[in-house]
Amino acid sequence: MQTRRQFIMKGGKLVAAGVAVSAAGPIIFARGAGAADKTLKILQWSHFVPSYDKWFDPFAKEWGAKRGLEVTVDHVGFADVVPRATAEVAAQSGHDIHMFIGLASAFEEHVIDLKDVVGTLEKKYGKQVDLALRSTYNPFTKKQFAVSDMWVPDPGNYHKKIWTDIGQPNGPATYDDLVKAAPEIKKKYPQMQIPIGIGLSQDIDSNMAVRNMLWCHGGSIQDKDANVVLNSPETLAALEYAKRLYSVGMTQAVLSWNAASNNQAFNAQETSYILNSISAYRTAQANNLPVLEHYFFVPALKGPTGIMLASEHVMSGYVVWKFSKSQETAKEFLVALIDASRESMLGSQLYNFPSFYGAAADPGTPMNKKIESGGAWIAKQCNNDPFGSKPADKLALLAKSQPWSTNLGYPGFANPAEGEIFDTYVITDMFAKAATGALSPKDSMTEASNRAKEIFNKWRKKGMVPGGSKDR
Amino acid sequence: MTTAEVALAPPAAKATDSLSPRDRRLGKLMLAPALSYIILLVALPFLLALFLSLTNSSAGSLDFSFVGLQNFKSVATSAVFLRALRNTFIFTFVSQLLVIFLGNILARALLKEFRGKFLVRFLILMPWAAPISLATLGWLWIFDSTFSVINWMLKVTGWLGPGQWYYWLGDTTLGMVAIITVHVWRLLPFSTVILLAGLSSIPAEVHEAADIDGAGPLAKAFQITLPMMMPILTVAVLFGAVFTFTDMNVVYLLTRGGPYNSTHVLASLAYQEGVLGGDVGRGAAVAIFLVPLLVVMAVMMLRVSRRAEVT
Repeated sequence: MQTRRQFIMKGGKLVAAGVAVSAAGPIIFARGAGAADKTLKILQWSHFVPSYDKWFDPFAKEWGAKRGLEVTVDHVGFADVVPRATAEVAAQSGHDIHMFIGLASAFEEHVIDLKDVVGTLEKKYGKQVDLALRSTYNPFTKKQFAVSDMWVPDPGNYHKKIWTDIGQPNGPATYDDLVKAAPEIKKKYPQMQIPIGIGLSQDIDSNMAVRNMLWCHGGSIQDKDANVVLNSPETLAALEYAKRLYSVGMTQAVLSWNAASNNQAFNAQETSYILNSISAYRTAQANNLPVLEHYFFVPALKGPTGIMLASEHVMSGYVVWKFSKSQETAKEFLVALIDASRESMLGSQLYNFPSFYGAAADPGTPMNKKIESGGAWIAKQCNNDPFGSKPADKLALLAKSQPWSTNLGYPGFANPAEGEIFDTYVITDMFAKAATGALSPKDSMTEASNRAKEIFNKWRKKGMVPGGSKDR
Repeated sequence: MTTAEVALAPPAAKATDSLSPRDRRLGKLMLAPALSYIILLVALPFLLALFLSLTNSSAGSLDFSFVGLQNFKSVATSAVFLRALRNTFIFTFVSQLLVIFLGNILARALLKEFRGKFLVRFLILMPWAAPISLATLGWLWIFDSTFSVINWMLKVTGWLGPGQWYYWLGDTTLGMVAIITVHVWRLLPFSTVILLAGLSSIPAEVHEAADIDGAGPLAKAFQITLPMMMPILTVAVLFGAVFTFTDMNVVYLLTRGGPYNSTHVLASLAYQEGVLGGDVGRGAAVAIFLVPLLVVMAVMMLRVSRRAEVT
């Protein structure tokens, strides 16, 4: 952030530079380019676990100071990441590095290819996790448009006492368990407002939760080749399930939730099950809330198809804008950030999981053992939470979360069409309409499918998304 | 100045003719900042939006091609758009009706002398001065579906029985009620101040003369106060209506258009489609739908304000 004085000083310098440029011509331009490389401006989200920002900002500044660079870090709320990127692209100026917490694919045209950065990292640490690759690489244009340093697992959070009281001390394991448990919970805890707290609103958490439901019933928006396949019996089954679950275990409250609402409802013991990262749990710890002793986690739920999947809760995607004058510096910073994967994970209180497991390996580990060693270090943290979980292995299941975690766009790669569908809530609205009876499941699916095809076709015309021949 | 005096006054054109060249230059110079502001921050963005609505422009790209009226055709057949259009009219009409009605009551109360009048005036102006994002956060808690303070109060007073609950932001109708409530709360001070100025400007002699003539309260209200207030009332209504038609803050901060895009107004839908969704062309098309209506309102506003100036 700049003070007013700094702003005026910089403005004054800019005017002076403009006058000088007009007088001195090309010589000054060359000097200007050199000067630009001495700064690095990073746009970063305000992390859901505030301790991360306290780690990241000094880390970036110290990294810059060692190289004689001035590093600036600006934070914005998660909802402003995309609007800010839109504004910077339109202005063709702003930060050098922009961090996305979802899909950066819509901005592919305006970012540089980071294939060399990923190549360097793979040489140092081995392959990145598959869901990170699928969120940052476009196989159609063959462009590595972003680099991911971390992703966040999205387990189920359940209230152990309540689930024990209804005979399931280990919490739910399948989607069917939720439907069966809801009436029992209502009976035992009539004062509880929302027995099952899965959001169906226009917010980021609901967006992920409904995708989990869709995938575990065998449905998806696109297939692996980016054909739109939303219109399917599997989607219909997922919508009919949502309708059943809503009628037995949810209220209209879930239609209005924002990103913090499920955390607040769970922490106030007004619901027994939510889908969330560990940020809500860390809040409960920080405030020593009464729910804390009952706060436990389960992996993604299994659907009737046997599929057990959850969307990543956050997927970082760092891009370097084409208009940046510090592109090489930016690339070096991204490598350094991933080098510090251990510190990053600890700084976020185990919220961030490294996208390159090998970067968390013990020093001196041979190349072919790095991913394994990094995984072991991650498991060690989760099995004995250094941030005071009781029992200490409360987060142990997170260490095994990779197999049941996937990317937006599953079973294909992330792409701008999937991004637009995510950001305009096409899927959450489909589920909400079907669940509440505002539309029949079939009509709701047809409406969403038509909109999805419209969005995909638009991006296909721009040459950024493949498929179309097998759209349903 | 009375109407008769205005009629006797020399035409405006002649008055400007009498200005010296130096004064004319000064006049232009004084107008320049306002004109530049309007051109740079209103006219150019408007023309850009008009232009973008005819293209397939997206947020992450500076390239686009012309698609004619395709964006307009696409949004006009969208159920979400039609709902947003209907909501925009409901939002504007109902909130303006309430603002004028409540503003009138408040203005009349503030005309009277009473202890603590200054404090009351100050408190009434507070919503206008408070940043909308901060104020709406407060309202967000008031209307929260799980923790609503209104619901807890209704529960304590027995209005809500066991198992009864109002899901203010999770219900399509209650969501609109919440949005209109916050907007009325926000606009009420402005309307009150304007109406108060209008009421204060009615000479006491007119009412005294009506009293002598035996006019009752209703006759005085409809034959004196209302006609004399009409120009300023129209300005308040038109200004408020234009402000409401183009506002997206309350909707976006309270419901984000939900549940299932049922509480969007055109401005918030345009933001969702154009900025968040990245479909700039489509977002611009949604926003441009307001223009014909706003033009009519702007013309009416100018005509009325001119009339208000001379009577």
